[in-house]
Amino acid sequence: MITTYLFYFLSFLAIMFGLMVVLSKNPIHSVLYLVLCFFTIAGHYVLLNAQFLAVVHVIVYSGAIMVLFLFVIMLLNLNKETEPHKSLWLKASAAVASGSLLVVMVASLKGASTIQSTNTFNPSIGLIENLGTTLFKDFLLPFEVSSVLLLAAMVGAVMLGKKSIK
Amino acid sequence: MKALVLLSSLGVISLLAELFSFKKLLYPIVLLGLIATFIFNIQDWNVANNTFYNMLQFDNYAIAFSSVIILVAFLWFLMAEGFFKEETNMTDHYSLVLFALVGAVILVSYTNMTMLFLGIEILSIPMYILVGSSKNDLSSNEASFKYLIMGAFATGFLLFGIALIYGATGSFDLATIKTGISVQGATPTIFYVGMLMMLVGLSFKVSAVPFHFWAPDVYEGAPTVITAFMATIVKLAAFAAFLRLFDVTFFRVSASWMNIVWVLAALTMLVGNITAVFQTRTKRMLAYSSVAHAGYMLMALLAMNMYSNSAILFYGLAYSIGSIATFTIVSIVAEARGDDGIHAFNGLGKSNPLLAVVMSIALLSLAGIPPTAGFFAKYVIFTSSFLAGNVFLVGAAILASLIGVYYYFRLIIAMYFKEGNSEKINVEMNHKLLLIVVAIAIIALGIFPDFVIRLI
Repeated sequence: MITTYLFYFLSFLAIMFGLMVVLSKNPIHSVLYLVLCFFTIAGHYVLLNAQFLAVVHVIVYSGAIMVLFLFVIMLLNLNKETEPHKSLWLKASAAVASGSLLVVMVASLKGASTIQSTNTFNPSIGLIENLGTTLFKDFLLPFEVSSVLLLAAMVGAVMLGKKSIK
Repeated sequence: MKALVLLSSLGVISLLAELFSFKKLLYPIVLLGLIATFIFNIQDWNVANNTFYNMLQFDNYAIAFSSVIILVAFLWFLMAEGFFKEETNMTDHYSLVLFALVGAVILVSYTNMTMLFLGIEILSIPMYILVGSSKNDLSSNEASFKYLIMGAFATGFLLFGIALIYGATGSFDLATIKTGISVQGATPTIFYVGMLMMLVGLSFKVSAVPFHFWAPDVYEGAPTVITAFMATIVKLAAFAAFLRLFDVTFFRVSASWMNIVWVLAALTMLVGNITAVFQTRTKRMLAYSSVAHAGYMLMALLAMNMYSNSAILFYGLAYSIGSIATFTIVSIVAEARGDDGIHAFNGLGKSNPLLAVVMSIALLSLAGIPPTAGFFAKYVIFTSSFLAGNVFLVGAAILASLIGVYYYFRLIIAMYFKEGNSEKINVEMNHKLLLIVVAIAIIALGIFPDFVIRLI
């Protein structure tokens, strides 16, 4: 029972912080709300008994990536409201497009409660041991192939960053 | 699988070249490596091997597409030798291109949504960087930035779609998803929303109208060799992925996506061709023509009959070879005349007959005039679409092709019937050889199209 209340509480917070990310005018505030949003999602992982994922989520997203965001915002000196004014036409079309997407998303929830889960929920699925077995057995190839992705991204970053030899 | 391992190793070897200083040898090593990959790849023909817990499947479909991709990559390397001359970033360029090829090979052979996502990312991230590889050129930087932002947004849609489909079917595996949606009426609504989001993400990658706005700017701003890479290999791989996902996995719910793809195909062909008419710069014109060609390939995707696979394979090959030729010539002319406007081609027929003849053959092929490869490519696609009952779409496609003929011929007229700079442009020997080989290939594929069409 307590987990149900926790679930609704965390979901409410997550959605609220998510809205605040978009609505706050100051980019620094947006980033800080995003950190809070990630923490609530980490809470969801804990509720699903996936402690490892929760910890990794906090370390990688709230820690590393958010610090990077803050650095970039500070380096670009974006902490003032310097966003250029958008035309009314652009605003209207963006509102129509994203509003339609919202309608589609809400409509898609119709009948979602009747989905029969094909695999029953296994409470120990999120433990490190099971995660490791899945990662290094069923998903070994994607795990290995993502090294190519990371290497390519790293080579690219170095290439864009280095000075030319002359 | 062999292709994947060989291409990744080639990428790592080109990084090591900097360390062990065999940079001079790298170009022949990569060319030989591509030939070896091609040979090892076609050895698995007709050998059914399901690898790595249903992550990849190198069936004949995958082998045919990956062989064509490797072949086009080989021609591309012959074209792009100048791109690898620059001392500073030479090894980075090699490795990024080879890693992009790894992504392309994954995209033609995946049987799992995780591999689809990884393939798209491995293909896209090197492209974002290579588009911005002329670092002192402002338009290249702008193109790279635009491509990155828009591409990341499209990937978000794709990923959201994958997540919703996982929620509806409980699996990433294409075969499981296919059987999961086979029960009529049992498919929840979020599955359809997920499918539409994946459609949006993939339409962006193949630059279908109305998701094409990035294409002209990126194609124009990128270095010409990278534009050629994007127009050929990236497009081919994305279409192979599109085909495998929608024609095979989502086949049973085709009623819910056919109308959307119908509109996408018609819009892509018409908008692409009509906008291309108004362009005065050749690179931008070819970019819009590349958008239009995606429309024809969507038509074959929509047909969903026994000809679809081979139609897209043949069309992709014919279009890629034609594009390699046109982009090579555009880059040679633009470099010599300092401008890629259509008037830069004035009088090319007198000053450089070889360039003009090959350009004409390639443009005739892109326009779909017999006896070139492009004619049969369009013929196969129109036939398959006609047999599937899409008569109005074929009508729209013929109309769009007629518009296409107009702007392709404008270049040919400029080359032969207009007086212009009569100064002869110096063409390197290997470019000459490449152009002759490509011209012969275009005509040979036009005369013996069966050789490719009967493959799959």
